[in-house]
Amino acid sequence: MTQTIIWTIAILTLLGALLAVVLYVVAEKFKVEEDPRIDDVEKELPGANCGGCGQAGCRAFAQFCVESEDLDKCFCPVGGNDVMQKVASVLGREVAAKEPMVAVVRCNGTCENRPKTNEYGGYQSCRVKAALYSGDTGCSFGCLGCGDCVSVCQFGAITMDPATGLPVVDEEKCTACGACVKTCPKGVIELRNKGRRNMRVYVSCVNKDKGAVARKACKAACIGCSKCAKVCPFEAITVENNVAYIDYTKCKLCKKCVAECPTAAIHAVNFPVVKPKPEAAPCHPERSEGSVKPEVEKKEE
Amino acid sequence: MDKLIVSPSPHLHTKTSTKSLMRDVVIALIPAVVVSVLFYGWSELLVLGVSVASCLLLEYLITKYLLKTSCTLGDWSAVITGVLLALNLPATTPWWVVFIGAVVAIGIAKMTFGGLGQNLFNPALVGRVFLLISFPTYMTDWAKPQGFITNSIVDAYSGATPLGIAKGLGPQGVEAMDYLNMLFLNIGGSAGELSAIALLLGFAYLLIRKVIKPYITLSIIGTVAVFSGIFYLANPAEYTDPLFNILSGGLLLGAIFMATDYVTSPMSKWGGVVFGVGIGVITMLIRYFGAYPEGVSFAILIMNSVVPLLNKWFHTKKYGR
Amino acid sequence: MMKTFSIGGIHPSDKKISKDCKIEVLPVPSKVFISVAQHLGAPATPVVKAGDQVKVGQVIAEPAGFISAYVHSSVSGTVKSVGPRKDIAGNNVVHIEIDVEGDEWVEGVDLSDTLVTEIPQDNKAILDKIKMCGVVGLGGATFPAHVKLCPPPGKKADCLILNGAECEPYLTSDYRIMLERSKEIVIGAAIMKQVLGGCPAVIGIEENKPEAIKAMKAALAELQAAAKGYEGISVMSLKKKYPQGGEKQLIDAVMKRQVKSMGLPIDVGAVVQNVATSLAVYEAVQKNKPLITNTLTVTGDCLPLEKQHNYLFRIGMPLSYIAEYAGGVPEEAAKIISGGPMMGKAIANLDATTVKGSSSLLYLTAEQTVRGVESACIRCGKCAEACPMGLEPFLLQKYARNSMMDELEENAIQDCIECGCCLYSCPANIPLLDIIRIAKGDVIKIIRGRAIKN
Repeated sequence: MTQTIIWTIAILTLLGALLAVVLYVVAEKFKVEEDPRIDDVEKELPGANCGGCGQAGCRAFAQFCVESEDLDKCFCPVGGNDVMQKVASVLGREVAAKEPMVAVVRCNGTCENRPKTNEYGGYQSCRVKAALYSGDTGCSFGCLGCGDCVSVCQFGAITMDPATGLPVVDEEKCTACGACVKTCPKGVIELRNKGRRNMRVYVSCVNKDKGAVARKACKAACIGCSKCAKVCPFEAITVENNVAYIDYTKCKLCKKCVAECPTAAIHAVNFPVVKPKPEAAPCHPERSEGSVKPEVEKKEE
Repeated sequence: MDKLIVSPSPHLHTKTSTKSLMRDVVIALIPAVVVSVLFYGWSELLVLGVSVASCLLLEYLITKYLLKTSCTLGDWSAVITGVLLALNLPATTPWWVVFIGAVVAIGIAKMTFGGLGQNLFNPALVGRVFLLISFPTYMTDWAKPQGFITNSIVDAYSGATPLGIAKGLGPQGVEAMDYLNMLFLNIGGSAGELSAIALLLGFAYLLIRKVIKPYITLSIIGTVAVFSGIFYLANPAEYTDPLFNILSGGLLLGAIFMATDYVTSPMSKWGGVVFGVGIGVITMLIRYFGAYPEGVSFAILIMNSVVPLLNKWFHTKKYGR
Repeated sequence: MMKTFSIGGIHPSDKKISKDCKIEVLPVPSKVFISVAQHLGAPATPVVKAGDQVKVGQVIAEPAGFISAYVHSSVSGTVKSVGPRKDIAGNNVVHIEIDVEGDEWVEGVDLSDTLVTEIPQDNKAILDKIKMCGVVGLGGATFPAHVKLCPPPGKKADCLILNGAECEPYLTSDYRIMLERSKEIVIGAAIMKQVLGGCPAVIGIEENKPEAIKAMKAALAELQAAAKGYEGISVMSLKKKYPQGGEKQLIDAVMKRQVKSMGLPIDVGAVVQNVATSLAVYEAVQKNKPLITNTLTVTGDCLPLEKQHNYLFRIGMPLSYIAEYAGGVPEEAAKIISGGPMMGKAIANLDATTVKGSSSLLYLTAEQTVRGVESACIRCGKCAEACPMGLEPFLLQKYARNSMMDELEENAIQDCIECGCCLYSCPANIPLLDIIRIAKGDVIKIIRGRAIKN
């Protein structure tokens, strides 16, 4: 009896010691030398692993930051300037502040503006739909409405508005990681600067068809008439391929173009209303992108 | 014609749906159900009714209030589970035991895994095995209730299943049995084990309707035949013969209706064959050497657990590779 | 034992409603729009401009690359404009708009009905003619024919397979030309066989078309008796099973050889051409006639028999014009398909025009074509059973939804031929092919990218 106990203890102890040695040797042999600063940087990151920075995840981004010469090349869109400052201080380097961005849906092809010409009957995915054909409306450039951007957004910032059939970006939640921009097969979503007090002016259309064709497909289409470009005092607007584009780095938010646009394709959002109506209060973040606001704005002009 | 539909190819679609496949399985079970009701009477009807109704009810309640998904009763899969569970129980099982079996089958074995298509184990079998372990007295009470038709063979042997006899007395005990009778009308046992020919009718229907492929069923039966054949030839005094093993107990019910369940069987042909061989071997090991007289349920459940592995190992033959 | 391919396959439907309708010639409309992208590969470059006078058969667009093809005018008249127009998928493609005036052909085209059975000996001249006449594969992919007929150096054709399977339900255009133009098809086959170095040629036809098999055999026997160069051609009847007409499946059925993954048919010594392509080759080589016509079936369950048609159309005719001429779009039609119901394209825009590869206007009713609601996969394995490439669509779609590229490649998603058998046979209505098609494109891109790197 006693002998059994002694033997058991002896064998188990021996086995334990032996395995400990094996584990130690293996751990030594396969040890990966890593810069300890990578861990420190990673701790500062949001940990969303969204890939918005262009790296495979937060750890990869931390490594990228540590290894890169110039921190200005690295930017974590989710964490923003705060996080980048912290990263810079961890690494003992400097980083310039970047302007905050937000995703903007550049299509106003609501069910009303852009009537359906056929019925899509396949898998509800923009990619599948785009690979098949131009879409179920007359416009072959605009939003397809299957919500690939909604499913790809890790921050729940995009929802589909059932009334318009278009995605709506929640500016509070949007981190400008750019996942939706990459996903959208039609390139409808763009990252634009948040702008002074969140005020932005942009062309809500990407239709490259000629004016008449675009107008026929959608009432709110940019027809490439160049009126906005002519009226812009800051040369911020260019018209290329029958569609206008406002360079947000040059735009001074004067809204002259908004008044000029014959199809109301230029949207101005989050501007304070001059004569405020109760239902058109400016601070209504979840509805700020939709079609309602710009029309209100236009009435004011 | 209002607006033309546009969708990716193909533009035609088979008429076969999940619903029609499941309904076909229920239809294939009808002969076995009819035979069992005829010979076990009202009590069997009660077991069937309680089993099917509680399976449907549970699935409804779980999808509606727990998972909050759309109702899946229309796909007939809960009906199959209900019927199979009932056929796996003795006709004398009290209704509340049947209900507990349904709770385990639908509630635990099926819905906790995510419902149809996600469950690892055959729900009806999990229910049955749970009852077998929890309520062994009810589950092995093979007393013959009053049926709509009386049959001298059935009545004569009431009280024990052929496998029970074989376990107790060895092959000598089953010598008196007539295999032709077993083919048409088994003696004693759970409802679904009653008539081999009724089950084979269902098998033929499933094959004709192309609901299942025969290889899983055939490999189980083949394995049982070979395995018991070797033992029987080596020592006929100790081991029962192949034909007896195929016709008795729940082997046919299991091989035709439960091992072939889409969700819990391998997808590829060779995976299916290995799956069947495994069930056959485990069944015979339990029958010959285990404590229980019958081992089909356990065999199928054990092999269910290796299905993901079999799916990983066995793939279809690819073109040009 | 009837020959067929060895893996998978389905039999969706036996319907060939319009099979007894003779080919009718469609009158030329007042205006045509000829697309410059009627073939696989780079769109052709237009060589005419608004105001130019063109004749029938005149080159109006030239190839813009190795894999590209000439496009000819199908009418005579004045070029009205050259610019973007929507194709059947609603995408903008450059079309050449021509106002029709008269029907004047370019010089040198033999418009008579006489059969030219003598095969020219100069292979280079033949290939040149095929190229100059803009002949492309008419089996669906519209791959330029002359490219396929010039095996790359070091590779030799062991067998020319003529695809007369027409395994898609409803389509009857190949069937009709096999009945009505059988001799021309055989001559085309003899020409291609000679170009390929005299390998044997097999004309594969599905068993559900006994009249076509009979007609082709008779034409072959007559030509073999009358002229030289027709040895080694045979007609083979094949089991009716979809996708028998798929290139890889046909090679398997006829030659018992399988093309390796990402490989070409010529790697196993096979060249596959459609019977309609063979007819186009005959017309190009023997008659100098460029590819500006093809046969198109107007059919569907919701059409009465007298409205079922097989038409000889010219490229550039608006589909709406053909539909109107045939008696209008039936009220019950919920979907119009260009091509067969398994692999054809749903038409989003009926104002689009016919192209070289157009083969049908197929009207399907809502009952026939609307997909059921997707439900959970029950792992029945019917998709894997049906897949003619031996793939496991249930697995691929799962990996694809999770963007697992390595697993997709391991499981050979790149071999998918998009035949639609999986989606057809899925009882749970899972959009297998929709998802797989996209992921396949991604995986092929990765493979190509890797090949360039190495």
